[in-house]
Amino acid sequence: MFAAILRTQWKWTRGPALLGFILGFAIPLLSLFSLRSTGIGFAAANVVREMQQYGLLYAVLAGASGLTCAMLSWGHDHRGRHVYALSLPVTRTRYAAMRLGAGAIFLLVPALGVFLGAVIGVATAAIPTGLHAYPFSLTMRFVLASFVAYAIISAISASSTKASAYILGGIGAVVATLFLLGIAGVGQDAVSWIGQALFAEHGILSVFTGGWMLIDV
Amino acid sequence: MTYAVETEKLNYTAGRGEKAFHVTDLSLHVPKGAVFGFLGANGSGKTTTFRLLLALLKPDSGRITVLGESMPEEYVSVLAKTGYVPERPHVYPSLTVREAIDLHRTFYPTWDQKWADELLGEFNLVLDRKQSALSKGEAGKLQMLLALSQRPELLVLDEPTDGLDPVVRRDLLSALLAYVNDTQATVLISSHLVHELERICDWIGLMDHGNLLVEMPMQEFKNGIKRLRLASAPADLSNAPFTLLSREEESNGSQQWLVRGWTDGMHEFFTGRGATVREVVDLDLEEGFVEILRSSRANR
Repeated sequence: MFAAILRTQWKWTRGPALLGFILGFAIPLLSLFSLRSTGIGFAAANVVREMQQYGLLYAVLAGASGLTCAMLSWGHDHRGRHVYALSLPVTRTRYAAMRLGAGAIFLLVPALGVFLGAVIGVATAAIPTGLHAYPFSLTMRFVLASFVAYAIISAISASSTKASAYILGGIGAVVATLFLLGIAGVGQDAVSWIGQALFAEHGILSVFTGGWMLIDV
Repeated sequence: MTYAVETEKLNYTAGRGEKAFHVTDLSLHVPKGAVFGFLGANGSGKTTTFRLLLALLKPDSGRITVLGESMPEEYVSVLAKTGYVPERPHVYPSLTVREAIDLHRTFYPTWDQKWADELLGEFNLVLDRKQSALSKGEAGKLQMLLALSQRPELLVLDEPTDGLDPVVRRDLLSALLAYVNDTQATVLISSHLVHELERICDWIGLMDHGNLLVEMPMQEFKNGIKRLRLASAPADLSNAPFTLLSREEESNGSQQWLVRGWTDGMHEFFTGRGATVREVVDLDLEEGFVEILRSSRANR
């Protein structure tokens, strides 16, 4: 049963998953290539600064991979108002777990690209003394970040249209309120509290922040 | 009599305010082995009822028993024995015919691949064609193939032939009847094509505005609904052995009555009251259906 779900989901996800693989493979190589092309050499400070500039790309790719994978995994059920899924003789939790599990497996494809790109890039680069390469840690972080994005969007996509509308409407209302408060220059405490709750050390989106370093001290 | 589907005082509300739709105190009894035709105008509650029976919706109150098991509690077991063809094709349109079959069959331990292959040939379906590229008739055939190849004890078919040409309709209904003859499965089918139901059903249910107006054997329904042409009408209708659905005065003083529950011996009711029945006209299912709806709506 899971194999059949896996096959159908692969059909829907494979294009973006393979694109994610290529991009994931390219980012670490590009970061090291750009270091060489700048002509500033592999001085430790230059390397760390250059690596930091590419950190955002990993986070964006992880977020985009999770979002795309979730939307493609649930989109077909959502468009059919979940009638097919609901008419199948399996418990709803089991069905949701199978869909979620299949999507999670395909999320590993871009992560594999990141890992291979990082390992190959690091193997071909001369890393200055005192610095270390972290291809495995970077990949694990990429996996975690893409899973967080995947889980959030799945929770929305797997719901009914009405529930999805409520969730998205709620998020939209919060963002709009924060934006207006920011313009008006009031409620800064609330804005910073929400920012902390989401992005601070224990916030649910904290994995996207901070340094995504392939090479660091 | 044992029932494949039974509901008692089922209530459900969708939406709010003026747009709310209610299924009210629905008590439905589908005998085991019957081909039960479910008739009703658009928006009468047929699809909602089917979805309640299959636990796609949760009732507000009431009791549902399908194949001897309580719904929605036992939905996994019931759905494993039920073939469902919804109003619109529901298997993911991006899959090919082959992929749809491969996916669907993994969920049904009773799946009959040999018969599925036979139906594929009979319906002329191309395995590698995407469902989104299928014609309406081909999509309908695939839905029926998927439902039948499960070898279900109960088939719930929501307008399975709606919008299909007569040849495709005949193919689908032939396959359905062959299966029913072979297995004595119960069929619950809705359709706008009243004549089609008249041909294949042995029980009939009639729904309007979320209420079940009629539920009876087809033969009884067809034989019991008559148009009476009366030369003179009785003044007293107390203790009438039939139900008067509607009455129309004609210009020459005679009247036309539409009655339900008519049998031959009932002429005496009129003669005993000094009235004369000039003619008793048989109605077909469609005429009966329209007249019952009309009288029900007039009484609302």
